Amino acid sequence: MIDRRKFLGTVALGTASAAFLAACGQSSSPAQTGSADNPVTITYTWWGNDDRAERTRKAIALFESKNPDIKVNGNFSDFAGYWQKRATEAAGGGLPDVMQWDLSYLRDYGQRNQLLDLGTVKINTDAFEKSLLPSGQIRGKTYGIPTSTNAFAVYYDPAKLASLGIAEPDGSWNYKEFNAFLTEVGQKGNGTLFGSTDYTGVWWMFNIWLRQNNIQAFTEDGKLGFTKDDLKKWLNMTSELRGTGAIVGEDKVTQLLPKSPFGSNVTATEVTWDNFMAGYLADSGAKDLKLVPVPSDDPDNLGLFLKPSMLMVASAKTKNKDAAARFIDFMVNDPEVGQIFKTSRGVPASKTQRDGTTFEGTDKLVVDYEKSIEKYLKDAPEPPIVGFGTLESTFKRVAQDLNYGKLTVDGAADAWFKEAEDLIKQNA
Amino acid sequence: MTQSPTLSRRAASAPSQPRKSRRRGADTRAGYTFLLPWLLGFIALTVGPMISSLYLSFTNYNLFDAPKWIGLDNYTSLFQDERFLQSVGVTMQYVVFGTPLKLAAALAIAMLLNSKRKGQGFYRSAFYAPSLIGASVSIAIVWKAMFGDSGPVDQGLSFFGINLGGWVGNPNMTMGMMILLTVWQFGAPMVIFLAGLKQIPVDLYEAASMDGAGPVRKFMNITWPMLSPVIFFNLLMETIHAFQIFASAYIISNGEGGPAGSTLFYTLYLYLRGFSDFRMGYASAMAWLLVIVVGIITLIFFKTSKSWVHYSGDSK
Repeated sequence: MIDRRKFLGTVALGTASAAFLAACGQSSSPAQTGSADNPVTITYTWWGNDDRAERTRKAIALFESKNPDIKVNGNFSDFAGYWQKRATEAAGGGLPDVMQWDLSYLRDYGQRNQLLDLGTVKINTDAFEKSLLPSGQIRGKTYGIPTSTNAFAVYYDPAKLASLGIAEPDGSWNYKEFNAFLTEVGQKGNGTLFGSTDYTGVWWMFNIWLRQNNIQAFTEDGKLGFTKDDLKKWLNMTSELRGTGAIVGEDKVTQLLPKSPFGSNVTATEVTWDNFMAGYLADSGAKDLKLVPVPSDDPDNLGLFLKPSMLMVASAKTKNKDAAARFIDFMVNDPEVGQIFKTSRGVPASKTQRDGTTFEGTDKLVVDYEKSIEKYLKDAPEPPIVGFGTLESTFKRVAQDLNYGKLTVDGAADAWFKEAEDLIKQNA
Repeated sequence: MTQSPTLSRRAASAPSQPRKSRRRGADTRAGYTFLLPWLLGFIALTVGPMISSLYLSFTNYNLFDAPKWIGLDNYTSLFQDERFLQSVGVTMQYVVFGTPLKLAAALAIAMLLNSKRKGQGFYRSAFYAPSLIGASVSIAIVWKAMFGDSGPVDQGLSFFGINLGGWVGNPNMTMGMMILLTVWQFGAPMVIFLAGLKQIPVDLYEAASMDGAGPVRKFMNITWPMLSPVIFFNLLMETIHAFQIFASAYIISNGEGGPAGSTLFYTLYLYLRGFSDFRMGYASAMAWLLVIVVGIITLIFFKTSKSWVHYSGDSK
């Protein structure tokens, strides 16, 4: 009985691993150039939800109709699983030809020669802001082309604030005022509506705060630009809010996953990237959501910047460089692609694509928000250090432990620094 | 594998009959030929990777660059890694509490199913079913929903005035949830217990009844000792199994081992280190440490088994 069960298990496992091996090896194709009769096939992978999958399929169909000599095989997964898959593929030398990419992982793969230097192929970048392109470059080589930009913002739901009798914020606030606002929401929300998630647990908000204080997060030589005391000071910003209605408890946040508390109508505000608008609207069913700038103690320096919300990259091992380059060029520059995605990838980075897209309703809100903060914008940050993806998730984790009361502020800062120092030593 | 010693022993015991031994030699060759597909797979897919992971455990390897030899560094830094120690603690808790509870449930149900009753075949299948589907992804998802805020468990308990809230988001409750999930999958050991119970001669119980023994006495003096080899087997298998828990923890915690590290099982942390942090050398060291520890525990089980496991024909 047992033996048979084990045997069947082994068979199932064997079949699964064979399928897995087959999946790993499928991306290489010997053809160099194609024709309409005999098109070359390139593989493309991205992360995102069903909404993005639908839009991407439309974009691919459009590309194929305009380029009959190229066929694009698409594939997608969610964000966390996405990076685990890429790691295994890279180890086996089988990365897809073209990939949607995140700034956090650009160095990990670019610096380790996994990505194609896009400076060696033909992609038109004339319509891009000159200040944005360096965020896709490492040591003079271009590994990624930004599809679109996003900026940090405070989201709020006007209807929820009105129902509590709280005036809508105008976004000219310092941290004390912001905290007072969250506290008021918490008090009036009375256990059913909370202020926000703990904004000190968001790496990019911390990075913005550092910029507001003229501190660089990372130095040129890949070390930390801030001290443990800076981090402690930051984590202490909400120490009086944790455990009150101002901040939604971590036990609730965990259970709502994969949805966010804001998308689940549990909080009235959220501090995050402005291109999450479409997702929040779909999740929460709210009529409209609004965006205002993040708090700052220095009204002239909001520390804000436009980040490439995602980049397009190609595998260093692709056999169809030309086809890959044409697909990337199409995805970042074509106005019709802009019409398909609107602001769901962020605001299109290429002016050609941006001008060719009509933004209405909430899409217009996102574009208007990025225009409104234009005068505060500073240079985009360099691609973060190797292993940044781990640092970012560790940051979130220690903040969660802090909210669970499993760590003190000092303990959380110590834990994060130990991980960071370990990682920098590993990759030195 | 198991048949090869028998074959060679038989071949060795008959050296005086050259003809037969030649045939036996052909048998051996045929045996190995039939074994070949499995053997090749075993060497290429199990032994090979194991040896390379042993090598990698002494290196700093990030999947992209060539592995860099660092000696025992991975092993020594494990013991300064608080998350590693946490994962050991979580796993031990699960093994120490989960395994005995699961076996107790399996034995209890097996004894109920051993009595002659109508529709016993149906009950046996019904009780075995959870262990068939229990390890699947969908069950972990259902479990997560059941134990969430205002899920059936939360509502059921509040009916009795117990308000615990959702278990999934509460670091103090997740372990209980994971243990319940494993206890619920008692089917495999139950079937083995059932087979063992059928082997116990009925006259032993009849004799005991004549002497006026009650059910507890019968269990302690007949069932337990007669069943001890089966109990030992189940204990060993389930303990090893428990050390390997991964899929359900991965799904319930969204692959992060949360909340607050309360479901950070050893294999999950190993996976995160390898595939999220690209520290394959470190992950390999963890894997080998697990192999060694499970080996030692197995050895201890075997050594101590002499004092409580009774095989038929023993002089004791």
